[in-house]
Amino acid sequence: MLTIYPVIAGAGIIISIISAKKKAPFYNYIGILMAMYGGLKSVEFFAPPLPGQVILMYMAMSVFTFIIYFSIREEQFQAFLRPMRTVLADDSKRIPRILIMYILLPVLAGFITYGKVMPKLAPPATARIVHPEPPASITYRGKSINILGIENPLRKDEAAMAVHIEAGKKVYYQNCFYCHGDDLDGNGHFADAFNPRPLPFRGTDTIAQLPEGFVFYRIAKGWTTLPAGSTPWDSSMPSFEHLLTEEEAWQVTLFIYEATGNKPRKM
Amino acid sequence: MLHDIGINAFHSKPGGNTVRKIVILALAMLLPAGAFADANKGKMLYDAWCAQCHGYEGDGKGYASGNYTLPQPRDFTKGTYKFRTTPSGEPPTDEDIVRSTQKGNPGTSMPPWTRFSDEEVRSIVEYIKSFDEETFELQGKAFQIGKAPSPSDALIKQGMEIFEKAKCWECHGRAGRGNGEKGWQSDFKNDGGTRAWPTDLTHNWEYRNFPAVEDIYRSITSGFDGTPMASFQTSYSEQDRWALSHYVKSLQVTRKTGSALTAKKVDTIPAVSDKKQWEAVAYIDLPLSGQLIFEPRQFIPVVTNIRVRSLYTDAEVSILLEWTDKRPNKGSDGHPADAVRLQFPVQLSSGAEKPYFYLGDSAHPVNLWYWRASDDQAVEFNASGQKENAMVTQEQNNIRVESEYSDGLYRILLRRPLATGDKNDITFVPDTFIPLSVTVYDGEHDEQADRAAISAWYHVMLEPPAPLKVYVLPPAAAFACIGASLFIRKKLKKLKT
Repeated sequence: MLTIYPVIAGAGIIISIISAKKKAPFYNYIGILMAMYGGLKSVEFFAPPLPGQVILMYMAMSVFTFIIYFSIREEQFQAFLRPMRTVLADDSKRIPRILIMYILLPVLAGFITYGKVMPKLAPPATARIVHPEPPASITYRGKSINILGIENPLRKDEAAMAVHIEAGKKVYYQNCFYCHGDDLDGNGHFADAFNPRPLPFRGTDTIAQLPEGFVFYRIAKGWTTLPAGSTPWDSSMPSFEHLLTEEEAWQVTLFIYEATGNKPRKM
Repeated sequence: MLHDIGINAFHSKPGGNTVRKIVILALAMLLPAGAFADANKGKMLYDAWCAQCHGYEGDGKGYASGNYTLPQPRDFTKGTYKFRTTPSGEPPTDEDIVRSTQKGNPGTSMPPWTRFSDEEVRSIVEYIKSFDEETFELQGKAFQIGKAPSPSDALIKQGMEIFEKAKCWECHGRAGRGNGEKGWQSDFKNDGGTRAWPTDLTHNWEYRNFPAVEDIYRSITSGFDGTPMASFQTSYSEQDRWALSHYVKSLQVTRKTGSALTAKKVDTIPAVSDKKQWEAVAYIDLPLSGQLIFEPRQFIPVVTNIRVRSLYTDAEVSILLEWTDKRPNKGSDGHPADAVRLQFPVQLSSGAEKPYFYLGDSAHPVNLWYWRASDDQAVEFNASGQKENAMVTQEQNNIRVESEYSDGLYRILLRRPLATGDKNDITFVPDTFIPLSVTVYDGEHDEQADRAAISAWYHVMLEPPAPLKVYVLPPAAAFACIGASLFIRKKLKKLKT
């Protein structure tokens, strides 16, 4: 569907050029509007799509501006009106008149109206805060942990790093990979069944943006402590406090950073 | 390089690093440089990204084996490979292992590994082969697959006859749902002694060796060594196998996912046996996951999909649930009964807020409609969170059920009055999106309580009859347009004269 817009823009430019040469301002006007519309819609190829309201505003402005432009000189304005006049009034143009004025335009008007009045059945969409603000401290199996600004305690134990990473790998592949993926890309074999989809850990926009304490907090509490803005009722993230020891939770945190080559954000 | 891989393989096996490096360096001087680089890189990648399931020793006993995955990861030390382009009994070609690695195996925990270059994948394949060098001393001769003939009714009919003659139905079932009686037997096993289940040929997302017609041809030709799936390379001609492949392809259903189901209003709700009427009703497919949130968790759910349809009348709402089950179970033979559970919030909130998608929570109770194969009854429950004894059976039961199990397919029709007057029941109001989720149990695999396949929240909407303005305004706009044209034409004509 998207690929049709550059085609519309291109066709508009061609019509505009040809009609400018042939001194047919009405078709030139149609061509310019087509090129404008196709161009604005094609923005989506290299930037976020323009909102419908913005496009509507630009188009409305163009419709009036170009009418003014074509009506500056009387001679040109007469030429501009000629096609409309002929179709409407000229008795020899009966067939195009019936086609355009009595079939094409009414059908178009009816169709647009139908689109406006037909009730749209779309389930309520919810904006969702993916990474809500964590509390300053949490309890893990009854033990109070200050998670704000905390570094993974296992990182101090440099000699045992490899052991911890390997242990974290085991925890990951027995608890997490079903959803977050064998390759930590969020495409686990159960990922399709959940909404929201599980987050990937690869790439620079999830755990790379988060301090380690936050990741630990999300593992520990899962869906249970999410604020309403993060739709806890939809989240399939378990509260791993009940399933893993504190050390295991830190080990798997370490593993997901090591395995993806990401670094935790420092506070 | 090490950083690309993520985990340093030397890192993961602490101790003796320096000594090992010196030995490797010495060995490297004796070998052609390329070969050495391959084997070493292959091991490093394998240890980092394959060993978690297939094991550091290649024995299929990685962390995610045992109860964590089904089917089990391949044991590379046995040298038996299911997915090949070689005759039965011969080892796979390198391309075959490359294909499984790069494309994965649908319906299993083996994902497509697309992050690695061809060269990297080949180095992994070399290393995998080294777990069983004896097998690969022989080189498998790949058969040619050629171009698939285009499907025709005649070809599919020929394929159907072969499906009959070759007794494919004995295991895969008459409708191809993997429910043949041979597959029910306790001695239906893989070489390693693990229980085997025939593929459900209607689920194109569960074909381990891929669902395209060329893939089916490849599977039929090679057979799956080490499993009850035999090779048909010598028993049926190439043309016969293509015909059979097209027939099998024609059994596949189209999965249609979506976030909401709309229910049309009808005068009477058709009976469950009225297949023709129900087939014309719009549906959505809900992909299912194991219940992984609360202990005991279900890592290896059996039912992967449930199809939902809905219709309503002035008085009643009905929901039809369909899913495949290779062996129905009524709770005999020491297994629990098959069951299905529909879940709705008791109260609809005006905002986005809902009960927790699995069994609700203390502030937001859910209304459950629970059908069991054991007594073929549906009962109403309430729950406010997953806890033992948190489920409360309602005294008054308003659900009517019609059930059917036929050729591998469960079809359960649940009906209830739109409103019951019970404050613990969901009230159905047209023109409202009502959250719905589903839990399914396969008794044969001992699923019960929290060991189940579950879905996320979806919505069902009882579609209101279209408002009058839909029929009035569009023609009005069209006529207004014609009127305006006539008016302008009149004016112009006047100007001219």
